[in-house]
Amino acid sequence: MQALRLLGQLLLVLGINMKNILLDNESLNPTDLKNDGKTLSFTLEGKKFSFEVVTSGNGEVILQGVDGNRFKGFSTKPNREGDVKIIAAGLEGTLSSGAKKLKKSGAAAGSLTSPMPGKIFKIVASEGEKVVKGQTLLILEAMKMEHAIRSDKDGVVKKILFKVGELVQGGVTLIDVE
Amino acid sequence: MKIKKILVANRGEIALRVLKTAREMDIKVVTIFAEDDKHLPHALFSDEAYSLGSGALSETYLNKKKIIDIAKKCGADAIHPGYGFLSENEEFARLVESAGIIFIGPTPESIVLMGDKIGSKKALEKINIPLTPGYHGDDQSDDNLAKEAKKIGYPVLIKASAGGGGKGMRIVHQDSELLESIRGAKSEGLKSFGSDKVLIEKYVQNPRHIEVQLMSDTHGNHLHFFERECSIQRRYQKVVEETPAPNMSQELRLQICETAVEIARGINYRGAGTVEFILSQDGKYYFMEMNTRLQVEHPVTEMVTGHDLVRYQIMVASGEKINLTQKDIKQKGSAIECRIYAEDPDNNFMPSIGHIERIETPTLRDVRLDCGFLDGTDVGVNYDPMLAKLIAWGETREIAIQKSISSLDDVLFLGVKTNRDFLKRILGHKDFVKGHTHTHFIPDHAESLKPKDLTIDDKAKLLATFILTGKMASTKASNASFTTPWTTLTGFRN
Repeated sequence: MQALRLLGQLLLVLGINMKNILLDNESLNPTDLKNDGKTLSFTLEGKKFSFEVVTSGNGEVILQGVDGNRFKGFSTKPNREGDVKIIAAGLEGTLSSGAKKLKKSGAAAGSLTSPMPGKIFKIVASEGEKVVKGQTLLILEAMKMEHAIRSDKDGVVKKILFKVGELVQGGVTLIDVE
Repeated sequence: MKIKKILVANRGEIALRVLKTAREMDIKVVTIFAEDDKHLPHALFSDEAYSLGSGALSETYLNKKKIIDIAKKCGADAIHPGYGFLSENEEFARLVESAGIIFIGPTPESIVLMGDKIGSKKALEKINIPLTPGYHGDDQSDDNLAKEAKKIGYPVLIKASAGGGGKGMRIVHQDSELLESIRGAKSEGLKSFGSDKVLIEKYVQNPRHIEVQLMSDTHGNHLHFFERECSIQRRYQKVVEETPAPNMSQELRLQICETAVEIARGINYRGAGTVEFILSQDGKYYFMEMNTRLQVEHPVTEMVTGHDLVRYQIMVASGEKINLTQKDIKQKGSAIECRIYAEDPDNNFMPSIGHIERIETPTLRDVRLDCGFLDGTDVGVNYDPMLAKLIAWGETREIAIQKSISSLDDVLFLGVKTNRDFLKRILGHKDFVKGHTHTHFIPDHAESLKPKDLTIDDKAKLLATFILTGKMASTKASNASFTTPWTTLTGFRN
């Protein structure tokens, strides 16, 4: 048990677990990480940080910086993709770690995605149709409101991936325009 | 008649709000819930709770027959409709009363009158209530609507006649945009309210939204509980409300409040109601609409006047007299309400969904969180994205602002994207602090309301929390627990 703990701390010190920490899709690369359960220190973008662990457990911490100021931090359990939502000192961020690759912002170029979960209310465009930038292609209904999905460029509608009445998740490709 | 058992025909925080006052009055409370709400507190904390099954809203919270049958079966002698849903549904009010149950709200006649944006204005014109120039007629042809819009002069506002909450509303700046906007308003009106009738109004530049809280009993008392300033809106949805309205002379305040009382008296109103006015920058005010129900933002009025509006609603419904005169009702201090929405203000206010892991409660004195969720409950796509209301009272407006900003950090809603930080940015905005509020505040200040990039110190705090609470910390959980036993902290969490 003691050996395992030491190994864990060694890994932490070596920063092996710390590759590719993402904060809101931006890579953080802390170095010189040390954590003995009482004090956590690391270097981030050339600046040294040290936090005294006042208390921790159950997804919650109270930390004290070297300036003597305390703050509370909270975290969710990781979701399926390994993302953890954090609120610390009133600030919010989504963090993840491990071998996860940097996510692309948005989906592949040329495709229009659902900005939120909802229901396909109306399909205005049809496959093969020539469209111009800003033209409404599809209307999504969510929270009892209608949201127009508009073309982000001039082009031709390649594929419409859903039918009227279908439920879609947020961030899903709805229409391909080329 | 003394009410002994109330069925609340609503969900979330407003169902719990009614429950609180009913408990204080020794009245039993029955709640109803759709199956996807069965873990929410309104389905758990009442004296009796009944499932409405699942399906579309028309099968659950809008199913009049089902709700009235439940009320009859459980022996409720009154129904409180809350806000939204069936609160302004005349047919429901009638059905409730014909089932021999008290409807805690106005008469069906008042609901019909005020629910019809056109009819209400015609009626109020007769008692000399100031109205905005507009067309409220029955000729709904495109040609006629275009002619009337031109007569009023652009910019004009197109509204679904039966609308509310911004649904079915469009601003039109020029002729070429008119027809598409009319079609949009008609279609949204039909879908949301079952009517495609629209009206056109003069659009007032940089107006303020001022509303007056009214309460009328059935003994001829028509009282106001002063005004609320609700100008801070996004897409016609209120975000921050407060009372008293800043930068308003006492003379204008009383004039507006008395106009609202004239309306209540003029239509022989019963119960709680709110008259909404547009106030122009030069101090002219026009009647906009009357909401014949309790408002979402009623708590600020309660905090500043010290009166419980739900108690008065129940008293009025049971035929009691409100033993108050207008001069007994006074404003003390200042109160601000922040609506916490599950949405992303930095991405066009897109609604968000998710699992709320922790909420936490405000810690400061005279701060109230009216919330319909618990730790571990889910926010779905089926209902309004409002999660809770944070209401802070202070001796002055400055104190109320500071308490609100501080308290927004107390409540977490951890796990769901919320507008918490956006609310802090509004409250801390120099123009808000000065009380320079108008309904375009959010779009006009879009640039200065944008989030600041995280500093390196901010990132370090988030990262430190991540390291100490995440997977990497879990192997050392025992380590942490002997450093400081977690048990000593349970008290402070509450």
